[in-house]
Amino acid sequence: MRILDINNTDQQLTLEAGQEEHFLLLDPQHVKLRIQQQEGSRLMLHCISLAPAESGTCELIVEQQAEGCETRLYGLALLKGEQKFDLVTRVLHNVGGGYSNQLFKFVLDDEAQGSFYGELKVLPDAQKTEAHQTNRNILLSRSAKIQTKPQLEIYADDVKCSHGATTGQLDSTALFYMQQRGISLASARRLLLAAFLGDVLQGLPEETTAQLEQQIDAAL
Amino acid sequence: MLEIKNLHASVGGKEILKGLDLRIGEGEIHALMGRNGAGKSTLSAILTGNPAYTVTEGTITFRGKDLLSMSPEDRAREGIFLSFQYPVEIPGVSMVNFMKTAVNEKRKYQGLEPLSASEFLKLKREKEALVEIGSKMQNRSVNEGFSGGEKKKNEVFQMAMLDPCLAILDETDSGLDVDALRIVAEGFNKIRKDKAAAEACGQPATSAIVITHYERLLEYIRPDFVHVLYNGKIVRTGDAQLARDIDEKGFDWIENEADNAGK
Repeated sequence: MRILDINNTDQQLTLEAGQEEHFLLLDPQHVKLRIQQQEGSRLMLHCISLAPAESGTCELIVEQQAEGCETRLYGLALLKGEQKFDLVTRVLHNVGGGYSNQLFKFVLDDEAQGSFYGELKVLPDAQKTEAHQTNRNILLSRSAKIQTKPQLEIYADDVKCSHGATTGQLDSTALFYMQQRGISLASARRLLLAAFLGDVLQGLPEETTAQLEQQIDAAL
Repeated sequence: MLEIKNLHASVGGKEILKGLDLRIGEGEIHALMGRNGAGKSTLSAILTGNPAYTVTEGTITFRGKDLLSMSPEDRAREGIFLSFQYPVEIPGVSMVNFMKTAVNEKRKYQGLEPLSASEFLKLKREKEALVEIGSKMQNRSVNEGFSGGEKKKNEVFQMAMLDPCLAILDETDSGLDVDALRIVAEGFNKIRKDKAAAEACGQPATSAIVITHYERLLEYIRPDFVHVLYNGKIVRTGDAQLARDIDEKGFDWIENEADNAGK
């Protein structure tokens, strides 16, 4: 895993044939990252925004240019106060036999605002593509806002694609159940939020996961 | 232990409890019977501080303290435990983490040091054996994918871990087959401290409110008092025989008498 320290930049990377890379983007501010994937390359990228600046944007553009590529994009953003964070992903399947999976979660409190724009394009030649996109968000206050816009364009017919976007609140029946066991409301909220965010950290090294879990707990 | 006076409560603007009085002494088991909608579950929601329910009049004193001014978590830490009619599934939160947090937050409230990992494990194993629950269940998320019987057993396990002085069993018998019912009821009987056990450890004996439609559960958990709830009030109180009469004759005769008395 490599930590990409690339704030306020526009960068382009190429994964050569068969290359495997795992990137971690921490608190991206104004980042535009284009990644081109060659045959059979595998990309995993985690975008974690725990202590963002007042406003941040992150645009991830991944192009599968040859067959048999794998793309995994995972991310979470915890926003509070008047923080704003806009996340854009564009995943392009140019050719067939590729796999992509996107999982992004936002937790917003106070007056925070976030947006997720997720573009997934499967071109006519990209048969046998498997592509998934999920965006789930939790609003902790009435004045927090999230805009989510999944944008799927599928031009090939022999593909397996799915997407889902949900925005909700913490489950009040679960919160009460925990309180009835003597768990404070604050702890109950943290347990639920940690559970909600847990699967975003999949694939990270154990040590990094433990560190991030601590940071998440502190930020909640 | 518990004293409820002239309790009026509503949910969603509708008045459900209309002047309920109930006094529960230390170590007593009270069965609360009545039809759906009579207010049985509303009473358990009020006692535990469920925010969806509103008290409009009346007082509740629990071990000398004003219960209604306390948060739901403080009521639990003071020793009130509700075995939920519908235990909640919490995906992603492991039973172990959940239980450890609950036990240690209660200890903190009592001014005790948190249990270490090994102390907690020891307590957990002891209680698992007591209520005959497999330790495999503990590796899963809270109630997630549990069968109806497993959920109710898990409630009794949690009760064993938290050692309450007032347990409320809200339709613990619903959705259980005879064997599961027996295991759950026996589990409860093992956990509960009678007067002798209470004196031995210097803690209060366990009181209980057992909410049920049926007499069956009361064959296992013997009540000292049986109350019938109708139209938001207790309209009749008796001993275990009253539950057997209801099993035989239904609620009609009691409700009719109450209606006539009200005229």
